[in-house]
Amino acid sequence: MKIERRKTKPILPINSMSDIAFLLLIFIMLISLINYRKEVKIEYPEAEGSEVTHGDKNLEIWVDISGKIFIDGSAVDLVSAEVVIAEAVAENPSVRIHLIADRHTSYRNLDGIMEILKILQHRVVSLVIKEIKHE
Amino acid sequence: MKIRRKQRTHIDLADSGALSDLAFLLIIFFIVIAVFNINKGFLVELPGKDSTRIVKNDDLLKVILTRDNLLEYSGEVISKTEMENKIGDMRRQHPNMTFALIINPDAEYQGVVEIVEMVRKNGIENFSFTMARDDQ
Repeated sequence: MKIERRKTKPILPINSMSDIAFLLLIFIMLISLINYRKEVKIEYPEAEGSEVTHGDKNLEIWVDISGKIFIDGSAVDLVSAEVVIAEAVAENPSVRIHLIADRHTSYRNLDGIMEILKILQHRVVSLVIKEIKHE
Repeated sequence: MKIRRKQRTHIDLADSGALSDLAFLLIIFFIVIAVFNINKGFLVELPGKDSTRIVKNDDLLKVILTRDNLLEYSGEVISKTEMENKIGDMRRQHPNMTFALIINPDAEYQGVVEIVEMVRKNGIENFSFTMARDDQ
């Protein structure tokens, strides 16, 4: 007599999927923290024909509409800004400095930064804008 | 006759296709994160402090950006189109022309950006800008 073996139905092990999803969540959270950019609320100036100015090493200087200067999320005065910029340039002379200023801010608020960069002989500065595209 | 279906005894997670979906989502996530923080703008070369360069008067196009973000050339307010025409004429006569911009301290940054854009668009290589001092 032929004895039939009891056959089990195939089951997809979905229990492990929740573990993977959980790990993925932790991973995404960590990556988000690494890429966290301390932004200042500004209205970007708009223009056409911009280029990607992002370098390997970047230092972003934010200027809001009232002329307050922010570096790495903290408000700084011109003297402190000079120290931070000088340190960044000393650490890596090829650091790309980005000036991210509100479109309505007066130029007098930016002139101090420009003068610091001239004194430090940092020749190239990136004026960050928002690209506008006409259809 | 009873047809027997071939039954798999073991199902591998990798064979189920779920992992490839996950990997695909991960790739999209990385692409989005990588693109998100890229700055776009204009690279401007600054002169050294107190550095001077002699430019012939004929090669110099001196323009003032007023507090109202208007362009002033030779004491007259001109439109951007007129300015572009002027640049075009001057470039034909003086290929090594220098565009010197004097910015009123109260002029908005957007106005400065627009002029940098205009300079780039018209292929001017020698561009200098400074804030107007009291004596200017």
